[in-house]
Amino acid sequence: MFFKSNIKNQDQVDGFSYLGESVRFEGDIDCKGEIEIAGKIKGNIKANKLKILETGTVRGTVQATHVEILGFISGEIQSENIHIGEKATVRANLNFENNLSVSEGADISGRVQKIKKEKSKKIEADNVKYLQHTKVSS
Amino acid sequence: MPSVILKDTKLIGNLIQKDSLTFDGVLTGDLKAQEIIIGEHAHIVGNLSADHNIEISGMVTGDISSEKIRLNSTAKIKGKLFHRSLVVDDGAQLEIAASTRKK
Repeated sequence: MFFKSNIKNQDQVDGFSYLGESVRFEGDIDCKGEIEIAGKIKGNIKANKLKILETGTVRGTVQATHVEILGFISGEIQSENIHIGEKATVRANLNFENNLSVSEGADISGRVQKIKKEKSKKIEADNVKYLQHTKVSS
Repeated sequence: MPSVILKDTKLIGNLIQKDSLTFDGVLTGDLKAQEIIIGEHAHIVGNLSADHNIEISGMVTGDISSEKIRLNSTAKIKGKLFHRSLVVDDGAQLEIAASTRKK
């Protein structure tokens, strides 16, 4: 269905992975691109973009740059941007870096926290490189 | 709705699907579905079982069981096959033991 178009571009992936309604998966998912979930997942998910559809159920830890929840999630979410749709049920702790948006009607219970984790790490790494460079040149 | 898993995705664990599944990623674990299509970039260590049909163009290490099995020319397979009908394309690299079921 989708993978035929990918044969042309070896590195780039067009489209997104999709786990259908009848899927049951237990284990870890590591996706470099975009993934949509309409089935039942038990385990940890890492992705760039994650979308949990209305029929989707996720139990576990989620780490993604963008997270969109329209279904059910329980566990932990770490993300830069989180969007929660109106029919979503969330029983998870939300840790976000930039934006959190919640539609009217969403059912949420959990700890919500804004974090600044990865950005401060990046700045420290840059400083170290800069100091090393000046020492060598002088 | 059938599922599609692209080549940028790695899965560790067992996946059960009631209809059709197209898989092009990396998997450690078992797959179970009605129909399984394994793409060229796929790398699977685990057993595959389908009710109707399995088509493989990628790498699979493990047992494969289905009514129909088709191995395309880019397939690399290591394991046991259980099937009622088997098709192997020119160029498929196999290290298998195959057994045909009779009804």
